[in-house]
Amino acid sequence: MIAIHHLVKRYGPFTAVDGVTLDVQPGEIHGFLGPNGAGKTTTLRMIAGLLKPTSGRIEVNGHDMAADAERAKASLGFIPDRPFIYEKLTAGEFLRFHGGLYGLDGAGTGDRVREMLELFELGRWEHELVESFSHGMKQRVVMCAAFLHRPRAVVVDEPMVGLDPRGARLIKSVFRTMSARGVAILMSTHTLEVAEEMCDRISIILKGRIIARGSVAEIRAMGDSHDDQLTSVFLKLTGGSGLQEIDEIL
Amino acid sequence: MAQPFPYLLLPSFWASRNRARRRERGDFSRALLFGGVAIAVCAALYEGSFWLTGQLADYEELGDYLLRIGLSWLFLTFLSFLAFSGVVTALSTFFLSEDLRLLLVAPIATRRLFYARFTRTVVQASWMVVIFLAPVLAGVGRARCAGAAFYAAALLTVVPFVVIPVAAGAALTLLLVNTFPARRARDLLMLMGLLFAASLVVVLRVIRPEQLLRVESLPDVTGFFATLQSPATPLLPSFWAGETLFAALRGGRDLLHAAALWTTALASVVLVRMANERWYFPGFSRSQEAPKARFARFRAIDAAARALPLSPVRRQLLVKDVKIFLRDVSQWSQLLLLLALVLLYLYNFRVLDLQRIPYMSGFIKSVYALVNLGMAGFVMATVAVRFVFPAVSSEGAAFWIVRTSPVAMRDFLWSKFWAGLVPVLLLTELLTIVANRFLGVDPFLEIASAAAILFMSFALVGLAIGLGARYPRFGADPSQVAGSYGGVAFMVQAVLFVIVMIALVGWPSSLYVMQQVRGRALTTAQMMLTAGCFASALVSSAVVWLASMRSGVAALDAMSD
Repeated sequence: MIAIHHLVKRYGPFTAVDGVTLDVQPGEIHGFLGPNGAGKTTTLRMIAGLLKPTSGRIEVNGHDMAADAERAKASLGFIPDRPFIYEKLTAGEFLRFHGGLYGLDGAGTGDRVREMLELFELGRWEHELVESFSHGMKQRVVMCAAFLHRPRAVVVDEPMVGLDPRGARLIKSVFRTMSARGVAILMSTHTLEVAEEMCDRISIILKGRIIARGSVAEIRAMGDSHDDQLTSVFLKLTGGSGLQEIDEIL
Repeated sequence: MAQPFPYLLLPSFWASRNRARRRERGDFSRALLFGGVAIAVCAALYEGSFWLTGQLADYEELGDYLLRIGLSWLFLTFLSFLAFSGVVTALSTFFLSEDLRLLLVAPIATRRLFYARFTRTVVQASWMVVIFLAPVLAGVGRARCAGAAFYAAALLTVVPFVVIPVAAGAALTLLLVNTFPARRARDLLMLMGLLFAASLVVVLRVIRPEQLLRVESLPDVTGFFATLQSPATPLLPSFWAGETLFAALRGGRDLLHAAALWTTALASVVLVRMANERWYFPGFSRSQEAPKARFARFRAIDAAARALPLSPVRRQLLVKDVKIFLRDVSQWSQLLLLLALVLLYLYNFRVLDLQRIPYMSGFIKSVYALVNLGMAGFVMATVAVRFVFPAVSSEGAAFWIVRTSPVAMRDFLWSKFWAGLVPVLLLTELLTIVANRFLGVDPFLEIASAAAILFMSFALVGLAIGLGARYPRFGADPSQVAGSYGGVAFMVQAVLFVIVMIALVGWPSSLYVMQQVRGRALTTAQMMLTAGCFASALVSSAVVWLASMRSGVAALDAMSD
C-alpha cells in the first residue's frame, strides 16, 4: 500500500504540494487527477524517491521513504510520464540491468525478462537497441521494468500518453490484473475516461491541495444534477471550462 | 512577402545572445581560465610567426622562398581541416539539427533554407581556423612591416578560402546522406576524422623534425624542403591564398589568384545549392528513417562480469556502463587519438639517444623519469576529465532509473569509481613503466614512479567521480560536461595535486639518485625524510580520494532537495 501524510513541497516561496494526505490500499487503483501544474507529478516524484519532501511522510508497504528508502523502493514500481531509458542498451539488456538493481540476478531473470516482454508485446524486440524504438514502445519497456520485480505498489504518471489504442487497452488490462493480485496502483492521468473506467477511487488536486476525493460515483455526485459526466465535474471543481472564452477568441 | 534568408539565422543569433547573458556559477573562473589560455595561445602564435618571419628575412631570397612555401603549407593544413569540418558540420546543420522539423514544415523555399544553413555551416566550421589564422597573419605582417593593404588582402583572401572547402564538405555530406543513413554516416565520419588526426600526428613525427637540429644532417635539409614543397600544387585554393597574401606582403597584387579564389568560391556555392535543390529533401527524408541498428552484443562482457566477485547491483551497473560506452562511437573513438599520442610519446623515449652525452646520461635519465611521471599525471588528469568526470552526468535523463531503485547512492558512485579506475590505472602505469624501461632508469625510480602513479590514479579518479557527482550536467554531452564549471574545477585541482605529488616523490628520488651517482649511501636523516615524503604522498592521495568520494555521495543523496 501507499500512504502519504501531510506532504508539502516548496520551491522557495512557491508551494507546489501543500499538505496532501492520501492512501492507496492493496488491490486499489487510485486515480490522481488535476489540471496542469496542480502538483500531481511533484507528488508522484516524491513518492518514488526522486524528490525530497519539505515536510510530511511517505510510506510504501509499511516502509518509510525517508528512513528506509531502500526497502520502500524495493517494493515499489515507478512509471514516469516520459520514458527516458538508456538508448544504447537493448530492451533485454535494459530489463536485466533493471532487475539487477532490484536484486534479480539469478538463473530465472532471463525467463522473467522474456515473460514481461511477451506480456507487453515486445518479445521480438528483445535484442534491439532502445534508440530505435518509438515513444510507445519505450513506454512499454518502462512498464515491463516497473512490474519486473513484482512490486506490491506502483506509481504511474500519465500512462496512456503516446500509446496507440491497442497499447492503451493492453496497459489497462495489465493494471486490472495487477490490481486483482493485490498491487496498489496510484495513477495520475488527464484522460478522465480512463479514470472513470479503471479507478476505484479518485483524488483531485488543485494548486497543491486535494480538493475532492471519493469513488467515481461520489465524485460524480459533486457535479450538477443534470450532467453525470466526470469531465463537467472536473471542470467545475478545477475552475470552469473556459469554452466561452475559446469561442470568443476563435 | 518572404523575409530574406538571414531571417532564418535569427534563432541561432538570439540563442547565442541569451547564452552570453545567462550567468552561471563559475562563469568568471571559466572565462578567466579559457580566456587566459586562448589569449596565451594567440599571443604565442603571433610572437612565433613574428619571430620566424623576422629570422627568415635574414636569408633574403631563400627566406622569401621559405615564407612563400610556409604560407601555402599553412593554408593547405587549414584546407584539409576545413573540408573535414565542413562535412561534419553540414551533417549536423542540414540533416540532424532539431529545428529542421520546424523549418521544413514551414513554407520556406529550399534555396532560402540552403543559404541560411550554408552560412551557419561556414561560420561553425571555420571560426576556429580564423581565430588561429588571424594572429599568425598579423605576426607575419608586422615582421614584414606590411601596410593596411596586406590586412585588407588577408580578409579578402580568408573569406573565399574558407567557403571553398566547406562547400566541398557540404557536397560530400549530401552524397553521403543519400547513400548511408545520416546517423551511421556521422559515426563513420567521426571515426574517419580521428583516424585522420591520428595519422597526421604520426606522419608529422615520422618526418623527424629533430633531424634538422643535428649538424650531420644539414646536407639533407634541402631535400627536406623539397619534400615540403611537393604538395603545394597550383590547383589548390591553399596555393592561391598563399600566393595572394605573399604578393600583398611584398606590396604588390596577385589578381589572378585572388580572382581564382573568389570565382571558385562563388561557383562552388552555386553548384552546391543546385545539388541541394535536387537531392536535399530525399537525403533529409532518408535521415529520418530509423533502419534496424547494427551493433555488437558484447556477450563476452556479460560472461566476464559474471566471473568477477561483484554484487548483482554492481555487476549490472558495470555491464551497463561498459556496453553503453563501447556502443557510442563518439565516446570511444576519441581514445584512438589518445592511443596515437601515447604511442608517439613512447616512441620518442625509444629513439631518444642519451648515450651521446655519456657523462650526463644517468642524471638526465632520472630527470626524464620525473618528467615522464609528470606527463603521465597530466595524461591521467586529461583522460579523467574527459572520460571519468562525466560518469554521473552520462546517466542523463535516465538517471531516474537508478534513483528510484533500491540502490544506495554510495554503491552507485563506487561502482562508477571502480569502472573508471581500472582503465586509467592500466593506461598510466603502462605509459610510465614502458617509458622508464626505454630510458633504462634506476630500478628505485622505476618502482617509485609506479607507486606514485598508483596513488595518483586512486586520488584523481576519486576526485573526478566526486566532483562529477557534485556538479553534474545531465543534459549535456560528455565533452560539454568536461568543459563545464565542475570540469574546470577538477582540472585545476588535479594539476595542483600532480605538482604536489611530483614534489613529494621527485625530491627524495632525485636525492637518492644523486647519492648513487656520487657513490654514497643515504644518511639516516635523509632516509627518514625520504620515508616521510613517500608517506605524505600516500596520505594526501588517500585523503583526496576518500574525501572526494564522500563529498560526491553526499551530493547525490542531497540531490532531491
